[in-house]
Amino acid sequence: MQPVVQFENIRKSFGSFVAVDNLNLNIERGKFVTLLGPSGCGKSTTLRMLGGFETPTEGRILLSGRDVTMVPPNRRNVNIVFQDYALFPHMSVAKNIAFGLELKGVDNRQIQRRVSELLELVQLQDFAGRLPSELSGGQRQRVALMRALAPDPDVLLLDEPLSALDAKLRQTMQIELKAIQEQTGKTFMFVTHDQEEALTMSDTIVVMNNGRIEQMGDPATLYKRPGSAFVATFLGETNLLHSDVVGTDAGEAAVRWNGMTIRASAGALSPKAGDAIYVVLRPEAIQCSAQEPGVANRVKGRIRQRVFKGNHTSLKVEIGEGHLLNALVHPSEVEGLSRDDIWVGWSSEATTLIPARNAA
Amino acid sequence: MRAMFHDWPGLALKSFYWLFVLYLFLPLSLMVAVSFKDASFISFPLGNLTIDWYAKVIQDKQFLDACLYTIMIAAATTAIATVIGVWIAMLIGSLRGAAQYVAFAVACLPAVVPGMISAISLRIFITTIDLPTGTVAIILGHVVHAVPFVVVMVLTRLRSMPGNLVDAARDLGADSIVTFFRVTLPYLGPAIFGGMIFCLLLSSDDFVRTFFLGGYRPTLPMLIFARVQSGMSPEINVMATLVLVVTAVVGLYAEYLTRRSRIR
Ligand SMILES: Nc1ncnc2c1ncn2[C@@H]1O[C@H](COP(=O)(O)OP(=O)(O)OP(=O)(O)O)[C@@H](O)[C@H]1O
Ligand SMILES: [Mg+2]
Repeated sequence: MQPVVQFENIRKSFGSFVAVDNLNLNIERGKFVTLLGPSGCGKSTTLRMLGGFETPTEGRILLSGRDVTMVPPNRRNVNIVFQDYALFPHMSVAKNIAFGLELKGVDNRQIQRRVSELLELVQLQDFAGRLPSELSGGQRQRVALMRALAPDPDVLLLDEPLSALDAKLRQTMQIELKAIQEQTGKTFMFVTHDQEEALTMSDTIVVMNNGRIEQMGDPATLYKRPGSAFVATFLGETNLLHSDVVGTDAGEAAVRWNGMTIRASAGALSPKAGDAIYVVLRPEAIQCSAQEPGVANRVKGRIRQRVFKGNHTSLKVEIGEGHLLNALVHPSEVEGLSRDDIWVGWSSEATTLIPARNAA
Repeated sequence: MRAMFHDWPGLALKSFYWLFVLYLFLPLSLMVAVSFKDASFISFPLGNLTIDWYAKVIQDKQFLDACLYTIMIAAATTAIATVIGVWIAMLIGSLRGAAQYVAFAVACLPAVVPGMISAISLRIFITTIDLPTGTVAIILGHVVHAVPFVVVMVLTRLRSMPGNLVDAARDLGADSIVTFFRVTLPYLGPAIFGGMIFCLLLSSDDFVRTFFLGGYRPTLPMLIFARVQSGMSPEINVMATLVLVVTAVVGLYAEYLTRRSRIR
């Protein structure tokens, strides 16, 4: 099937500053795609180029197969949900939603039908006559979403639309946004710097850094098999162990870290003895016990910090001299453990190896 | 009581305020009071009160004609100055850097040029281009004076407008003209309204420019001036009182409307 959006060799510079470089990205119809990256990495610029508000310095953008690189925003079939909603303050909720439809020349009866349909989708039927200033943050958010959906765009662009909401509401809206996307079958292109948001909602995450795509894939793969140290640390918490390969056998590598030998599955890599390498060890992959555990990797340690978080306990365990490992364990696992003498362990499949030259 | 005297700076501040209010309202109150006086000259005590002077003034053909003429000029001035002012404000708003400051300074110039200088220069100008003194010349002079006030008020509002409102309209399919009329203009509404009221008041109150540019038909300020020259009488107080009341009502109503739209 033809991708709904194609970025081809896109480059965007502001003066001598390159905001987006060598961007190649195809987006499949009906997917929830998230651009994830730290502040200033070029996410908004990428989105604005698709919206028509920035012109690429080089490259082409295709929308449903049509070259739209030079088409002005009012003549491309994409709509944006802005970070601060940008609702028209002098128009009622219904008028705001109808705006795009009126400009498309849709007849009045149909506009009314569509508006009430959309309001129903987000349970705002009773608010049609209100002004935006008479709505709560979450309600404004929904209206902005429906206004952008109303003209039936090929792609819906969302630039950090949840960042103005408080934490609780943000979580509710994540779920709701995902539900609406599934219900409408629309392609969503979502921008955020919040990894949790990206993991919760996306079919595909595109991790960006310094104007380039670092890695893309579905959330589980990206989380389990990060391709670079940047992705490993940006997506979720992680222990990144800088080590040297000492040997390999049967798809496993033996690496040396902090005086101990770690066995780790090599995955797609074929490391050679002497290579510098990172071991990605997720905190929740670590188990703690009083007795020596029966897993491939185990070592003695001392608990330096223990924080009870309700459904889990977060630990900092010192291994050897001054090397700390972060661990997330079930509270019952660490009950009655002595602080100064515990075992930590993890299996060889629980880790991922990343060549150290990729460590940006 | 004693505590009050210990706070003498606060007390001084309050006293000065009330002295100022007294200074502001005393002449106005005297003017209004005399307009009800039962005699054809101004003196105290007032003696018997009457509304005869009012009856006389509102039957005064000259007075009514001057009112009409003033309103007509004010309305024309307002219409023209508002269009030009909004236009210039939009232009300045779209400029960047030094160009913006220069354009703004030029647009504001007519507001700071002394009325007399501007009046004389306009008079010389219309003579040069063979435009007769009279209605058109007066409106021309008033518009030049009023535009900067519209520009400043509209520009202030424009600067507070979230930039992405325009982006949102464009994004939803509006070209720049539709965006202006359906999004920008309504947003500027309260400021434009305020600017229009200002234009009305500036124009109807203007004496110097009208004096230099006017023909034989007097506006209200010119009529009052002419009457004063032929001697003070309670009639003049009546006219002034009427002007005062109308101006105050318009001003307060405008303030009420803008306040309401700001809350919404
Ligand atoms: N109009 C512009 N002129 C100059 N530089 C710009 C312009 N727009 C963006 N940039 C620069 O391009 C870079 C990328 O900007 P962009 O807005 O895409 O970042 P972002 O990834 O969306 O970050 P954030 O999470 O903070 O929104 C930034 O360093 C920014 O300073
Ligand atoms: Mg951004």
